[in-house]
Amino acid sequence: MSLDNLARIGQLKAHTPNAAETLRLLASAERFLKDAHVAGLSDETRFNVGYNAIMQCALVALMASGYRPATSVPGHHQTMIQSLPLTLALSKDDWLVLDALRRKRNINDYSGDLIDPESASECVARATALLATTRRWLKQHHPQLLEQAK
Amino acid sequence: MKSLISHLLGDTRTAILAVLLLRPDEPQHVRELARLTGVSPGTLHRELTALESLGVLRRNAVGRQVFFAANRECPVFEELAGLVRKTAGLVDVVRNALLPHASRIGAAFIYGSVAAGTETSRSDVDVMILGELPFADAVKALAPAQASLRREVNPTVMKSAEFLRKRRAKDNFVTTVWKAPRLWVIGSDHELG
Repeated sequence: MSLDNLARIGQLKAHTPNAAETLRLLASAERFLKDAHVAGLSDETRFNVGYNAIMQCALVALMASGYRPATSVPGHHQTMIQSLPLTLALSKDDWLVLDALRRKRNINDYSGDLIDPESASECVARATALLATTRRWLKQHHPQLLEQAK
Repeated sequence: MKSLISHLLGDTRTAILAVLLLRPDEPQHVRELARLTGVSPGTLHRELTALESLGVLRRNAVGRQVFFAANRECPVFEELAGLVRKTAGLVDVVRNALLPHASRIGAAFIYGSVAAGTETSRSDVDVMILGELPFADAVKALAPAQASLRREVNPTVMKSAEFLRKRRAKDNFVTTVWKAPRLWVIGSDHELG
């Protein structure tokens, strides 16, 4: 489904991006990823911190593309992950892994099932790669959103 | 609930046929077949000999290694393969999805609500995979199974040694998983006992 169609079914809303919010979100994702390497964190926390960074990257890319998620509609995390192939041209394989991580987070949040160390590491590694991809993509397609206000 | 084919043929025969008929061009070594299906070598040997003498399987010896494969010449090959494909249970579908990576999997089992028999029709299938398979490869391998099962399949991967170490150390996650009922996909309690 295209971003346009996602907007038509009410999952996305139109959005005018600006550099300040883009830089704020990137800085926040960066902070999360730094925190993910603090020693002594539980696997759940490490996972959640990585997951938050993934969501922020998806949000940056979506906003830069002129949309934001309709957070009043259920399933907006799924929509965010779904938008990644459309914004950052994420491959199907990468998308599958991020979607699997999203489901793990759901299970953990709503049933209290525990997160294993491998999933936590995978989540942080995927988040780190996604942040690099997001920065590269912004530089190439929306360089004005990376310019610090004078 | 048991799948139709398990009810008709029994779990052991179903497991053997599911591995061999769904991948007719991949002969399996007897020991590997025992590992994959969790069937004891004695029982396995008896079943394989019977199925071969009935023409359902082909036996092939390479040196001292004995391999078995589906016999496509068998007059009912298509029907049997179709029966497995259409009625195979959840475990068979998950095992079939993991088979291409079997060399990197020590053991695999389904845990959670599906294994406990408390699932709803929308419940996810939680699969624990022990071995060297990376998480991303597990997700990719199981993606087609999600479509045929119409359920989300959630893999968790861990090195076998780490799983055993954590079980001894009474790690929270591993203890919780191990205490709950499980359905073996690859291997049996025997290997992780």
